[in-house]
Amino acid sequence: MARLIRTEKEVEGRFEEVWLVVEEDPLTQWPSGPQAVVGRDAVRKDGPERVRGEARYTADVQLPGMLHAAMLRSPHAHARVARIDFARALELPGVRAVLGPGEAKGLVEEAEFAGQPVAAVAADSLGAARRAVEAVDIEWEVLEAVIDPEEAVRRELFTMEPARYERGDPDRAFADADVVLEGTYRTSVVLHNSMETHQAVCEWVGDTLNAYVSTQYIWGVRDNLAEELGIPGDKVRVVCEFMGGGFGSKNGADEQTYVAAVLAKRTGRPVKCALSRREENIAAGNRNATIQKLKIGARSDGTIVALEGEYINAVGASGWSAMTEGPMRMLYACENVRTVRYGAKINTPPMKAFRAPGFVEGTFGLECLIDELGEKLELDSLELRKRNYADSNDGTPYSSKNLMECYELAQKHWDRRDDVRARSTGTWKHGVGMASQIWFGGGGPPSYAWTRVGSDGRITVVTAMQDIGTGTRTAMAQIAAEELGVPLDHVDVVLGDSARGPYATLSAGSSTTPSVGPAVRAAAADAKQQIIEIAAQRHDVAEDDVTIEDGVIKTADGTFAEPLSEFLGLLEDAQILGKGARGPNPAGMSVLTFGIQVVEVAVDVETGEVRVERVAAAHDVGRIVNTLGARSQVEGGIIQGIGHTLSEQRLHDPETGRILTTTLDAYRMPTIADVPEIVSEFVDQPDEHLTNLGSKGLGEPPIIPIAAAIANAIRDATGADVHELPITREEMLRALEAAKKKERRGAPAAV
Amino acid sequence: MPELRLTINGEAHTVDAPIGISLAQLLRETLGFTGTKIACNEGHCGACTVQVDGVPTLSCITLAHTVDADVTTIEGLRDHPLINAFVRADAVQCGFCTPGQVVSAAALVADNPSPTVEEIRHRMAGNICRCGTYPRIEEAILHWRD
Amino acid sequence: MELLRPSDLGSVDGGLPVHGGTEVVPLLRDGILEAERLVDIRGVVPRGIDGSTIGAGTTLAELEASPAIPDALREACRLAASPQLRNMGSVGGNLLQSTRCWYWRLKYPCRLHGGDRCHAKEGEHREHAIFANDFCASAHPSDVAAALLALDARLQTTQRELALAELYRLPDEADRRTTTLASGELILELRLPEVESSVYLKAMDRQRWSFPQVGVAAARVNGVVRYGLAGVAPVPWLATGSDALDAATPLPRTAWKVDLARALMARAAAQL
Repeated sequence: MARLIRTEKEVEGRFEEVWLVVEEDPLTQWPSGPQAVVGRDAVRKDGPERVRGEARYTADVQLPGMLHAAMLRSPHAHARVARIDFARALELPGVRAVLGPGEAKGLVEEAEFAGQPVAAVAADSLGAARRAVEAVDIEWEVLEAVIDPEEAVRRELFTMEPARYERGDPDRAFADADVVLEGTYRTSVVLHNSMETHQAVCEWVGDTLNAYVSTQYIWGVRDNLAEELGIPGDKVRVVCEFMGGGFGSKNGADEQTYVAAVLAKRTGRPVKCALSRREENIAAGNRNATIQKLKIGARSDGTIVALEGEYINAVGASGWSAMTEGPMRMLYACENVRTVRYGAKINTPPMKAFRAPGFVEGTFGLECLIDELGEKLELDSLELRKRNYADSNDGTPYSSKNLMECYELAQKHWDRRDDVRARSTGTWKHGVGMASQIWFGGGGPPSYAWTRVGSDGRITVVTAMQDIGTGTRTAMAQIAAEELGVPLDHVDVVLGDSARGPYATLSAGSSTTPSVGPAVRAAAADAKQQIIEIAAQRHDVAEDDVTIEDGVIKTADGTFAEPLSEFLGLLEDAQILGKGARGPNPAGMSVLTFGIQVVEVAVDVETGEVRVERVAAAHDVGRIVNTLGARSQVEGGIIQGIGHTLSEQRLHDPETGRILTTTLDAYRMPTIADVPEIVSEFVDQPDEHLTNLGSKGLGEPPIIPIAAAIANAIRDATGADVHELPITREEMLRALEAAKKKERRGAPAAV
Repeated sequence: MPELRLTINGEAHTVDAPIGISLAQLLRETLGFTGTKIACNEGHCGACTVQVDGVPTLSCITLAHTVDADVTTIEGLRDHPLINAFVRADAVQCGFCTPGQVVSAAALVADNPSPTVEEIRHRMAGNICRCGTYPRIEEAILHWRD
Repeated sequence: MELLRPSDLGSVDGGLPVHGGTEVVPLLRDGILEAERLVDIRGVVPRGIDGSTIGAGTTLAELEASPAIPDALREACRLAASPQLRNMGSVGGNLLQSTRCWYWRLKYPCRLHGGDRCHAKEGEHREHAIFANDFCASAHPSDVAAALLALDARLQTTQRELALAELYRLPDEADRRTTTLASGELILELRLPEVESSVYLKAMDRQRWSFPQVGVAAARVNGVVRYGLAGVAPVPWLATGSDALDAATPLPRTAWKVDLARALMARAAAQL
């Protein structure tokens, strides 16, 4: 029965109260551990078409008569369009239509960062469109730009009101503490750099807009477009069967989609609007930089008694101010906590969610500070974390928490540290460090799925979700196969089309598997129940006696047993249709993910070179659906995190605010040669309170602790405190020099 | 427009295309070989890698009219054992860089059927994968003939 | 635009030469280079290795794989760029590559583009020069040039025979170019002296596929040790010993490169 509930909905650490219609979910969870299909390695169902280059991405969509759009972007960090004249542009060959400020959402009159679009052109080719953009006569009224986030805070230029949080009595607790440590930590801007840039192809068919969009949220794009264009949602069809990465940056329609839709309307032809790599690295979003002034108070036994943090999120011209203080509030038991978070509005490109926004940044500061406390108190890092283990989320019980089990899994890797340190020779110093992780990732309602079973016994799961590359098709097929008792290769998954399936949530916030997976299981169970009812009638047995296992439908007593495909042959053209919905999250509980990573590094103290040699990860995300895909997620998150820890650096011109590192020779993401040995382990215990599946999401947790773990390993190896990301050679050499001075002052640099 | 003759995956093609067009654009837009991806379009990421006479080449910064030799794209490697090796090893996430990875890897194993990890890392470093499938790519190439 | 593909030097008549295209094609697209006529010179520039003579059309990948090549040059090629770029790029073209200075690449009206200021000096310059950076702070990115400078290579062009060092010039008010190559002049061959030993060490922020933060080549030729440095000046930088670094004039954010270069030069000397 449908039920209306008032509930808290969380996406990427942002909460809102919403009304939700949810359906009861009568299914009990499968037992923990590997099942017939779920909880085992499964190769990607869509692996062959992706690897063979057959998968059609938005970038590959070419429609007859398709035009190409290009955007005119502000060269100034803050400027108003004083005058714009398209006459010269319109005279150029192949130019079909132009849009000025305000004519499509995202084309603004007042640009608030260098690179913000103000106008667009559609032409027969991309080259013609770009030439036309350059031919637009435009005069700018240059306005004052603020680039420095600390200046923005001083001037109270915010993207949202400062977020203040306090529990207990921090002042008194600091006064009573045996030891108090302070530190300032800085994290830098990180660019998503999805391999497929942001892009859309829009065409109008009658009064319906077909939008092929590289997106993490086809329903979000659908709603964005419907609202902007003033048409019903079902008159917008958003298609994204394959997309080339998003990492949080593709959760909405964005200007290129609006521009393509409006230009398609104007010209009566399909229009593609695709960002170049350089545009992508300016205007498509980023993980914002942060400045974190942190303070910790502890007793001499390591018990943390007080935490305080002032966080500045250098948000940019727009975007939201992520919960950077989240780890400080949530990771450890501490009665006295005070935080303030400023979202600095500055004239730099806007932030967008990037794989655990806020927590990646906040964990770097907090987990470095924790290890500095351990060094001061001469306490073992793992022991220090265990001593401050939180049993509840500030009073709210966890739906499940197995961080202690993660710590146990990490022990053997931590125990390697004497051997690792002993490898130090000459200028190369070796060390081990760790960091813990807490994050959301429980997903939530609503999401829906349908199942369709044909007379050949094959099952098709239909749900209008998207697979951003995490292996969603495979995980959903595993869940359906498990529930229906059929081999994995009997199940197909159809997704990626908002007109051809029910609503499913966005592929962000580690929410795909925990949100849609339970709906898929429910839809499979619905179909299974119908099959069993038919079998019971056909063979005149009780429904309870009928089971389906490994593709065979049978009774325990052997009255009948036949392959499902043969039994269902009686259906001929008839089909069995199942439907399923995601049930509610457990009321009054915190659904969170946990983990720890232990990192081994080598540092050349003469040249500042840092090599990450080994990473061991242990995460608790409830039940693992695809153990192979899960390892890939962990590796991917760690490798991406190594990039922002060591080599990725987005630089801007301090005078103009223009981004200088827009190309991939200058913005340096890890290559295959930078990858350490990675060991990934999971607690793999279903969350008994969470849905019919017990699974949480894994997309984000692995990227959260890596930067702090690397910095802590560097301290272990060299005695140098690294407080700033990325740890380039410049920063490493600076930190080593500072450590030498610290040593000369009498404090031992290395434990 | 100047005529251009190319041999792609063993088949001769004759097309008219403007001077200056890149091999990548010609393959994708004129000839429909969309397995070759363009991700940076300036020679930095390797997604557009094709083989020219067996040599991994960045098609996005190759002028199509300067190509005389045989071009092999991912479409010409669809039966290569590396395809299954990549799938088995889960060496694909979003998949946008993957065709280019396979094209580079196919040239590597043609030169040396048993490459070491060091050789793989040296020869595959020009193919960026933002999803971070590198450990799986390494595994796929190490075991490509299994 | 037209594309000519001559098969003999005599029929080369003006136009912008293209060999591997790894630098020219992107710069054309960006409008930093402009040409109505492109000349594919692969038919006229020698390719291959013959004893101590290297055809300028030889690719970096071919040099990397050749046991006949001195260690410093082979290692410089091995650590340069990406595999695909090494497959495409010729050694002659590599010597003529432009700086990676982001201001220059983004077409800021800087001194190298004929303007009246160096934006990097007042702006973001942490990867820029530590020598000869008063007029223009750009850093020359060629690993190969640093190696060939240390190896005391000589060049044969269509017009002259010269030492590699003579190929380069520091930009100044009157002339913003960084090479002495005349219009229409093509590098044809490189010649190496007898080398006793040589080494190339490169600091980058990835293990592969990065331009040098600092690259140090060292070679002993006729008993004399020479150093060639990449990433430290607007042109490949010749040094006779690590005391050369005492003369460095780092910018506020490039001082770290001096320490790095000092460490690499000491190591290179030790490995010779």
